[in-house]
Amino acid sequence: MSDVVGYRRRRGVEAFMLIFAIALGLGGYVLIHLNRDAELPAQWPWAVAALTGIGLVVHIVVRWRLPYADPLILPLVMLLNGLGLAMIHRLDLGTDPVMHSAELQLMWLVIAAAACCLLIIFLRDYRVLQRYTYTMFLAGMALLLLPLVPGLGLEKNGARIWIHLGNYSFQPAELAKLVLSIAFASYLVDKREVLALAGGRVLGIDLPRPRDLGPILVMWLVSLAVLVFQKDLGTSLLFFGLFVMMLYVATEKPSWPILGTLLFVLGAYLGYLFFGHVQVRVSSWLDPFSNYDQNYQVINAQFGIAFGGAFGTGWGLGRPNLTPLAKTDFIAAAIGEELGVAGLLAVMLLYGLIVARGLRASLVARDPFGKLLAAGIAFVFAIQVFAILGGVTRLLPLTGLTTPFMSQGGSSLIANWVTVGLLLIVTHQVRRPVADQSFEPQQWLEAETTQLIPVGAGAGSPRPGASTGSASSGVGSEETAPITPITPISPDEGGDEPTEVVQLPGGRP
Amino acid sequence: MSELVVLGLKLGFLALLWLFILFTGNVIRTDLFGRKVPAAELVAQPASGAAPAPNQPRLSRRALKQLPHTLTVTHGKQAGLQLPLEGGVLIGRSSDCQLLLDDDYVSTRHARITLSAGGYQVEDLGSTNGTFVNNQRLTQPTPFGPGDTLRIGRTLMIVEK
Repeated sequence: MSDVVGYRRRRGVEAFMLIFAIALGLGGYVLIHLNRDAELPAQWPWAVAALTGIGLVVHIVVRWRLPYADPLILPLVMLLNGLGLAMIHRLDLGTDPVMHSAELQLMWLVIAAAACCLLIIFLRDYRVLQRYTYTMFLAGMALLLLPLVPGLGLEKNGARIWIHLGNYSFQPAELAKLVLSIAFASYLVDKREVLALAGGRVLGIDLPRPRDLGPILVMWLVSLAVLVFQKDLGTSLLFFGLFVMMLYVATEKPSWPILGTLLFVLGAYLGYLFFGHVQVRVSSWLDPFSNYDQNYQVINAQFGIAFGGAFGTGWGLGRPNLTPLAKTDFIAAAIGEELGVAGLLAVMLLYGLIVARGLRASLVARDPFGKLLAAGIAFVFAIQVFAILGGVTRLLPLTGLTTPFMSQGGSSLIANWVTVGLLLIVTHQVRRPVADQSFEPQQWLEAETTQLIPVGAGAGSPRPGASTGSASSGVGSEETAPITPITPISPDEGGDEPTEVVQLPGGRP
Repeated sequence: MSELVVLGLKLGFLALLWLFILFTGNVIRTDLFGRKVPAAELVAQPASGAAPAPNQPRLSRRALKQLPHTLTVTHGKQAGLQLPLEGGVLIGRSSDCQLLLDDDYVSTRHARITLSAGGYQVEDLGSTNGTFVNNQRLTQPTPFGPGDTLRIGRTLMIVEK
């Protein structure tokens, strides 16, 4: 162990990219006003101060607490936020009495960035989260199903995914994404071996044992409940997809995604057969012009993107306001209209880069929990962006998910920033140069004691196999010993002194 | 503004957007391979001890100075191993432990040393084979200072100033 591999801190790179990202967001904002009124916006110094201040504070907190964190995640997120804010502001200007939702969104951005900073300051080591597997699982499920509670849940635009607290409404599923990725990661760290190894083989595919199917079936049922009672396709798809992908990452068995896809197809087909809202979504996907009034939103988004063409109409010069809900679900269509396909592809690539950085952290991570957590966070973003952008561009049926960091909405912004905070913490721990603690398998074998075989069972003979069997098992598996309720043997009673060492053939000389 | 200026600004903005992505690509390229650090540079840094015990009580600077600050393994396979206490150490075989013991009789998360108002304490985390201070099996968090011997499995540990 002479050298260890670490990564450079690269905080200077982060600062530079952050300035670039903020400048692009502000550039969009200024261009809107230049294109529409041929003059600079009146409040431009405030906008510059606000965005730069947020970027500066988060950068300083990261520099202070997470010096080795990934240098690209924060600039990418700030750029998406800047573009989203500019586009919301542009849509504000398009309505007849000019709205001020961009200011509100900026306030939410401040709160979200503050939440991210607090997380970074108070939780430097993500591994403590591993201890609360089932608490997290229950909390996530509760959050997911909270809108079904009568009196608390709120139905908006046909989906019951909101709860209202006083004057504010909140989407608990946004927070559930993060909580459940942590829960899945720590659950799979414990169970991945049994999920990967046990089970029979059918048609060349390793199938898991029926009793290990419990968790995936529970997730499937909860996803179906979300689909049926909350009428929310996107959330349902997101959570089931996340769970299946994490199972695949943890076990490396292709049978899980195959099984998951089959279950998903079955659930989707049942949903299509029995529920009107699913049929509406499918018909507006495959054949939107059959019912112009019903599919008005999807059709307008298509027209908008077509109107934009390759390079767009330019900031502030299109008519994205014609699409209903352009600030939330259809903000990508507004981007496609004003920045063109070139801009929309760039935005997609920005999301892709965030996902790639998350998967990169997962590859480099040394401990299984960090690996699974980073992969889970990356998959949450990937599935969500795929589902909503696919819906807007009519690649998939439209699902009512938010576009992370860009859509208007406080709960989504806060949840996504906290998720990014956690990802930064993971990348910091992962990229920090640390003396390698994991033993090479060869070293493990050499260090392991030769199997002890008790001869002449004394008063407290050691349990055969209990001592050596668990030593070689990996970090993820629970120790086998605590299961046996035999009175613990302590060396004072002469219990675990090796009675006799029997050399196995092929053992050490 | 003239059409031409609008077009120029539009294309300029898109060009800068894609330039940002190119810069990102370049950062990723230069970041692909880590940098080798000689292990000797890392000695000052605890292996994975970035997280002190969550509810670490605030002690005065003076009281902190009088506390022991090194945990030393005296017997067992890893004899000679030293570890800074730094407010708390989790001992076991799981990768999230600060002290990873290579010992067949150690549980995944075996015991925890925490800093309390009166000094360091050892607490057994429901281990199979127990945790012993001065050959007394722990049933509750027990103070642990210089002169005491901590035994976990077949590994003996002491704290030093």
